[in-house]
Amino acid sequence: MSSHLPILLFLVPFFMGVSMPIVTAKRRHLCPGITLGTVAVMFVIALMNLRVVLTEGPIEYAFGGWTAPIGIAWLNDSIAAIVAATVSFVALLSIIYGRVVVTSDLEKSSHYYTLILVMTSGLVGLIFAADLFNVFVFLEVAALAGYALVGAAGGKALVFAFRYLLLGSLGGTLYLLGVGHLYVATGTLNMTDLAERLPALMTSTAVVGGLIYIFLGLSIKMALIPLHSWLPDAYANAPSAVAPFLASTVTKVALVAWVRIEYSLIAPTVEVGHVPVLVLLEELGIIAALIGGALALIQTDLKRMFAYGGISHIGLILIGVSLGNDTGFTGGMFYLVNDAIMQAALFMIAGAIFHHHKASTLDEIRGLGHSTSPLLTGALIVVAIAMVGLPPTGGFFGKWNIILGALEAKHHFAVFAVIASTLLTFGYFLKVFSSWFNQPQSVAGETIAVSGGLRLSLGVISFSIIALGFLSDFVVRFLLQSVRGGGA
Amino acid sequence: MIHPHDSVLVRTLGHIVIPIAQLFGIYVLVFGQYGPGGGFVGGVIIASSLIMAILVFGIDSADSVTARKILHADGLGLLIFAGVGGLCLIGGGQFLNYSFLNIPGLDEASQHYIGILLTQVGVAMDVAVTGVSIAVSLSFEEDEIAEDGGNNG
Amino acid sequence: MGELLHTLIQRPNFVVFVILFLWGIYIMAAHPNLVKKLIGLYIVQTSAIFFLVAFSAKDGATVPVILEGMAAVDPVGYANPLPHVLTVTAIVVQVATLGVSLALVSAIYRKFGSLDEDEILEQLK
Repeated sequence: MSSHLPILLFLVPFFMGVSMPIVTAKRRHLCPGITLGTVAVMFVIALMNLRVVLTEGPIEYAFGGWTAPIGIAWLNDSIAAIVAATVSFVALLSIIYGRVVVTSDLEKSSHYYTLILVMTSGLVGLIFAADLFNVFVFLEVAALAGYALVGAAGGKALVFAFRYLLLGSLGGTLYLLGVGHLYVATGTLNMTDLAERLPALMTSTAVVGGLIYIFLGLSIKMALIPLHSWLPDAYANAPSAVAPFLASTVTKVALVAWVRIEYSLIAPTVEVGHVPVLVLLEELGIIAALIGGALALIQTDLKRMFAYGGISHIGLILIGVSLGNDTGFTGGMFYLVNDAIMQAALFMIAGAIFHHHKASTLDEIRGLGHSTSPLLTGALIVVAIAMVGLPPTGGFFGKWNIILGALEAKHHFAVFAVIASTLLTFGYFLKVFSSWFNQPQSVAGETIAVSGGLRLSLGVISFSIIALGFLSDFVVRFLLQSVRGGGA
Repeated sequence: MIHPHDSVLVRTLGHIVIPIAQLFGIYVLVFGQYGPGGGFVGGVIIASSLIMAILVFGIDSADSVTARKILHADGLGLLIFAGVGGLCLIGGGQFLNYSFLNIPGLDEASQHYIGILLTQVGVAMDVAVTGVSIAVSLSFEEDEIAEDGGNNG
Repeated sequence: MGELLHTLIQRPNFVVFVILFLWGIYIMAAHPNLVKKLIGLYIVQTSAIFFLVAFSAKDGATVPVILEGMAAVDPVGYANPLPHVLTVTAIVVQVATLGVSLALVSAIYRKFGSLDEDEILEQLK
């Protein structure tokens, strides 16, 4: 039973999502409850899976009884277990939050909930996949559900969802081309098998081309600068109910897929034509971190600012995992887990601000700190501390490990980039707070009341941001288990 | 609102051609066990026959009732596919491990055969429903989905 | 240069793939009409599928099914089924993408009354 937990984690939201339109055809009002129950069950299964991987180590799950490399396998290792637990945690909180801010016409359609559940199951499949083509299929499943969800808000969101669709599908096609190239060169699609055959073939143009295509395709999906242009528009205009879930999971899980592919294939010493590949990836991460932070600084719309913050953090994580040593790698992966939770919290706060005060730009939130609920202000402060990277939140430990890894590998420019991006994050949060706590002309006396769902979701997410900081040692050591024990 | 086609010729030929196309689709679906074919192609052929029925006879006609009814079976094919895999899980093996598909009275080869055939039928149903729903949703209807005027929902 | 030309002529399938891929991307970028952009996306995806077919085609190969009473199996005479599976799945993904994108395009048309990107962006301001 314990080895079947990953597939159960995939099947539960998939089954419920697909059967929801049929089952709730006459009883539409049951949809939100069913979704909430499904994601809660998912979270419990993910925690059970975490415990199983803690005690037993990595488990390979062979579909149809055919073991790798003949068959398709799912790898249930510590990276997958932690990211799956994070995704189900964020999904649970987003659905609790979503019930508060969802618009009435979205709430009445069962297909909206189907899309959320199908997207969750696609992300779960992406996390566990240990076969290149499996990654492609789940990437497209999650992406298609994402395009539809972004466009569900209607109006402006439709145009930006269309743009997201064009770029995202282009990314998927590039990834498919890369998979084709690698298959032609090696004859296998399984990642562990590729790791054995590929290092000898690194001089072949087909292999290098394949890896470049795969990286380009996944860069579009994870919004690495300069291929990020779809993200700020899409996430700023997505419905407030799904924006936290979309913003926190889609790009991070694409990054997890890239990490799985490159971790076993590209050792620190691999060079293509005298260019060390990992250093190149790290430089790209540096560019993304710096430019993302700088672009966030000049925004006036809250959601766009947070979206650019997420883009710069993708750059930071890429720096961490491309350093080539264990400290940097685990720092990057730990920061990925943190960033998922922080981005969800940020978009929840932005959505709550819009829902209660109809404010979405820096000018419109002027002085709200005095008249809004202390919960919103408190959550904003906690998330700001975590994004900037101050202890005891998890953000500090992630960046700390990345900097330590960069110093260990003697990449001093990466250290500068991490510190500079921290300063830029501090800069734009300073802008937010200076507007938030601005003394208004007429001091409003009453504070608004927030509903229970908002209280629960924001409270739990702020608590978990701080709790991750205290649990950081445990999580980092758990991630190291996957790294030392053979990895992806 | 898709109206029936004007020409008697087209409608008569439709009565002849559409059932042949559906039969061919089912043939391709089952022949996938031994040659090129299988669920995807069979589903696409069945979908094209149903779309032809809508285009030739109009969307409200009695001759295109299958196409309208099939839209309600959204996702049933997926449930069949995942259900077969789940049955294998319940039987004791991994997901989609047909050796553990415990249908009484079947030996191992027949278990694999039935399992694969069921998954392909599920896929064909789903592809057919998808094709028909794409065609139907593109027909412009004014009083359809309530438009949501606001953006930042 | 002569060697490059020689290589290109020996592999016409891959030259076609490159031309289709680049042409599709050009259509996606250059035309303002939304449906034309979709057609460009479709051509890009088709070119990727064409690439998969190009390297999986085999002269004189038969279906990889062993029937009763067949003797020893020589892999040379059978087609490799794996790239064919990749192709079929990619086609299905293409159809699904087309479905979602056409739904979005028809919703955009109902909302904005136009399929031209410049006009829509004007309305968004």
